[in-house]
Amino acid sequence: MSAFANDLVAMLGVLVVFNVGLTLSAIIIALPIACLFAVGRLSRRSLVYYPVTAYVNVLRSSPLLMIMFWAYYTGPMITGAPTSAYTAALIALAAFEVAYFTELVRAGLQSISSGQRDAALAVGLRPSQAMRFVILPQALRRMLPSLLSQSIIAFQDSTIASVIGVSDIFAMTNIISAREQRPIELYTALAGIFFVLCYALSKVVRALEARVNARTAGAG
Amino acid sequence: MQSLDWLLLLRAPYGERLLDATLTTLELSLLSWVFAIVIGVVAGLLREAPSCTARFAATGFVEIFRNVPLLVQLFFIYFVLPRVLPLQLRQILFAFGWEFVSAVLTLSLYTGAKIAEHVRSGLNTVGAGVRQAAVSTGLTWIATQCHVVGPLVLRTIVPGLTSEFVTVFKSSSLAMTIGVVETSYLTQQLGLQTFHWVEASTLGTVVYLLCAWTVAGVMSLVERWTYVPGLLRRGARP
Repeated sequence: MSAFANDLVAMLGVLVVFNVGLTLSAIIIALPIACLFAVGRLSRRSLVYYPVTAYVNVLRSSPLLMIMFWAYYTGPMITGAPTSAYTAALIALAAFEVAYFTELVRAGLQSISSGQRDAALAVGLRPSQAMRFVILPQALRRMLPSLLSQSIIAFQDSTIASVIGVSDIFAMTNIISAREQRPIELYTALAGIFFVLCYALSKVVRALEARVNARTAGAG
Repeated sequence: MQSLDWLLLLRAPYGERLLDATLTTLELSLLSWVFAIVIGVVAGLLREAPSCTARFAATGFVEIFRNVPLLVQLFFIYFVLPRVLPLQLRQILFAFGWEFVSAVLTLSLYTGAKIAEHVRSGLNTVGAGVRQAAVSTGLTWIATQCHVVGPLVLRTIVPGLTSEFVTVFKSSSLAMTIGVVETSYLTQQLGLQTFHWVEASTLGTVVYLLCAWTVAGVMSLVERWTYVPGLLRRGARP
């Protein structure tokens, strides 16, 4: 039994370093870009609107696995600079999440009533300042639940990085399972670990949602 | 970088293989989607069933399949499920092509759990009044679900079904990890065999994009046909 406990510890270690690390770095990279893109999605300039919209549409319609192939195999083929599997997975996951976050941020920005913007302009803020100081902070607070639930999906998707060779918890479990010939215990443990983490996080999302709804129930 | 050769992948033997792989992707996704609707509607309606056991089972099913990564589910069903099944059933499944069957099974359950959530929010849209009215006319719970609530909920969740349908196509790419030769599998194989990665991944991506956009186009027509006046705002979908 202690061998199994050792395996579990190893799996959890890899989970923290690779899956959690990959997800958090991808979110940190993706969120600022998504905020810029969301403003682009609401822009009236076609030179901004169409490229951003095309990006969002294409990335949201293709599988993450395909984007990982682009980042790991095709990208280096074009540029001539080899990329490590981890970097490629990070680029792919971040690029993928940018598309999803953009739509969430856009919906959040649109949920702030235009009166807020008018008021900000009336007190003398420039449009960019109105976005930066008035609309975006309120919108971000309101869309926190949906951003978090998308982040849970990103965390689950981080296992896909194992397909291009990142030694994450999923790859680790496959190796241990092949060595120990105990797929039932190991895959059950793997599923259990993800279930506990994601279920707890989804409860947090629900609590946040209730708070945001209570706060915005009065204000338009 | 080597020169591009776009026709290479359409010539024999690659062209035929690409067609086969695309058909496998379509088959996998369409089958899973049909099963997922059945599973999702049943599980979603059962979450408000009068029986406590049924509610608990349906909620457990939805939470488990939503909170475990699809890749883990796929490997669990592919590797673990056969070990707990009786030998004869296992032999039948393996003769049938267990890779494909387990991929369809996993995708159906995973998507079904997500559709169940749409059904639950659909129930909120339809409202308790309709259900109470149906029950007060003397219908049993099951008859209420089949004749009144079910059809109405199905119509209100069509926009949600659209996005799940697009997602099934994307998720089906993971079936390559257990050895189903579908578009992603073929893309990687072509790339590794010919080193024409640019062409291979472009073709693979185009296949998925065409699938997704066709589905979105067809479903927007279905949304127009099934739209329930007064229940949902038109064009609420992003």
